Amino acid sequence: MAANAAVVRDEAVQICDGRLNLHVKVAGEGSPLVFFHGLFGLAWEPLLDQLAGQHTVYAPEHPGTSPGDPRAIDEVRTFWELMLVYEELIRALGLERPVAVGASYGGMVAADLAATFPLLFSRLVLLAPAGLWRDEAPIPVVEMVSGPPERLPKYLFAHPENPGARAIMAPPADPALIPAAIAQQAWNIGCSTKFAWPIADHGLGRRLHRVAVPALVAWGRQDALVPVAYAAEFGRSIAGSQVEIIDDCGHVMQADQPEAVWAVVSKFLSA
Amino acid sequence: MKVSLFEQVPYRYIPEDFGEHYSSVVTAPYHVVDPARMQESLYSAYAELMLGARSGFDGIGVTEHSQSSYDISPNPTLLAMAVACAAQAEGLDIAITILGRSLGKTREPLKIAEEYALLDCMSGGRLIAGFPVGLSYDANLNGAVPAIETRERAREHRELILKAWSASEPFPWNGKFDKYGQVNIWPRPVQQPHPPVWVPGGGTPGTLRDILRNDYAFTYLSWDGPKLVGRGVFDRYWDMAEEMGRDRNPYRLAFLQVAAVAETDERAEKEYASHLLSLYRNGLGAIPGTAMAVPGYVEPAAIEAMLRGGGPQGMLARMRTATYRDIIDAQVAIVGSPATVADQIEAFVREFRIGNLLIMLQNGTMPRALAEKNISMFAEQVLPRLRPIWDDEGWVNHWWPQAQGKGNARPTASAASGTTSGGEA
Repeated sequence: MAANAAVVRDEAVQICDGRLNLHVKVAGEGSPLVFFHGLFGLAWEPLLDQLAGQHTVYAPEHPGTSPGDPRAIDEVRTFWELMLVYEELIRALGLERPVAVGASYGGMVAADLAATFPLLFSRLVLLAPAGLWRDEAPIPVVEMVSGPPERLPKYLFAHPENPGARAIMAPPADPALIPAAIAQQAWNIGCSTKFAWPIADHGLGRRLHRVAVPALVAWGRQDALVPVAYAAEFGRSIAGSQVEIIDDCGHVMQADQPEAVWAVVSKFLSA
Repeated sequence: MKVSLFEQVPYRYIPEDFGEHYSSVVTAPYHVVDPARMQESLYSAYAELMLGARSGFDGIGVTEHSQSSYDISPNPTLLAMAVACAAQAEGLDIAITILGRSLGKTREPLKIAEEYALLDCMSGGRLIAGFPVGLSYDANLNGAVPAIETRERAREHRELILKAWSASEPFPWNGKFDKYGQVNIWPRPVQQPHPPVWVPGGGTPGTLRDILRNDYAFTYLSWDGPKLVGRGVFDRYWDMAEEMGRDRNPYRLAFLQVAAVAETDERAEKEYASHLLSLYRNGLGAIPGTAMAVPGYVEPAAIEAMLRGGGPQGMLARMRTATYRDIIDAQVAIVGSPATVADQIEAFVREFRIGNLLIMLQNGTMPRALAEKNISMFAEQVLPRLRPIWDDEGWVNHWWPQAQGKGNARPTASAASGTTSGGEA
């Protein structure tokens, strides 16, 4: 099932009347698909190679996370402006009704874009999306982000020892690159938590009924960051959506259970 | 030079092994507290500050920390107001330093403007206004401010407060973080256009440039140890001052130093060591490193530079396990006989050109009687040696409040006597 590594190019797009320069990684051929990354920033992961085997994948870097331009985050003041940024980006790229795939924090972004702009996407794939909050199912983003780094894997993976998880957590092989990598990662988290702090609830639950495209909601049963309890609520709120719970799987689903995740995603996208 | 007595407000009965099990901030468990002992701890801080005010210190200082066991000072203006009013009643001419209301944390910046202004009025124009960004754990975890917004918020809040203090007419404020239709605070500070501004910080180039550009006083705290990091920070400050065309007036630099004085060096160590260590191990050292820099609080270039330099160089990062000797060698605390303490302080004051000194004499579990001994001995035997240090250079301390009468004086009495300060007591 391993896809060939795609050839990835970087496209810079100016939006917000020239005030914001967004970087988008682009790969593959076929109908357009936009991938919204999670809290930690964009890493070109195997799931993206798989998606690029069937689509032209556009993976924007969250404002502020592109190296060399950290203060770009200041241009996006509120979550509402973040919605406008991505909607404008999709138009600037000339994409017609792309598929949207969002994971974790990116799932919240994709879901709210689909709710805010019901005609923006053709399909919606949400992998353990944030965006809702119930007191009985707290989402420990603050604890994870402000806690010791060695505890990070327990929030993210059911199997931190799996190759997929290890690849995500591994520092750069060249020790000289490690300081910059740590600094960039911390800043990436800072950029995304700007809109997820301390609770990633911008009222998505009051808008989800507006999602008007086929939607897949997939969740790992052992998710220790965004509890699987939210899967049912997404499923209930988005009419006609399909909910898939994957066993023995934590929050970064594509790392814990790459085959199972690709099976449900590819089936949904080719239906 | 000017020397103020600074106090944190710790819970003085913190269990000896607290730091091994708990964080001293954010999640610090309140079940370790005995309510009567809490009350005693809080009152002792007030009583010691008053002792300092009566003993010849030029001022007192406090700062803000929320949800913390080592400094129970969620709004330092309250404690400072109590001291300010008592000092007025006793005719004590002391400056009141709030080392800082956290500007990056606050969601009500005008409350800070109003409370500082009220304090300046009630103290007869003796406020020194500290304008810190705020610690990451306090702003981002306690205050739930997104880390990446902390500094921007602090900048906007400072601008708003300064404008609110001196504006002659009500004005609207359409900020990024705050919007007000009519800003028109009552009262305005006695000191116009504003009380002296001191900015505590870690000494990054950006902070120092901002301080010098605005002609504020940079305030540095000794937690990292002046021996370890002082030279780098202060050299950078004075070099930058020269580049920016500022003079070498030592009053541009304020410094907070922990000290403990007893009859002899041996006796000082014996009496104070365990209390100092309790502050470092169970207080400052029990703040998780990650809580001091929630992702987004520090820019990537600064993190990268710090990591390339081999990680944090000061003591703060390793206080949890520091020995008494480490603390002393780094001069995080200066402990000994009056002569030892005065020699060491005088040496770095001259070396680094420090004009405004804050001295912290109560630490951790130190009981009130011992803290009072420390305050009295310092006032009687160390302070007189420090006060004249810069006299021969003839600088004016523009960063010291311009007291304008006693807050408790009737206008006619003050006009009749021509009194401009309450220092006759």
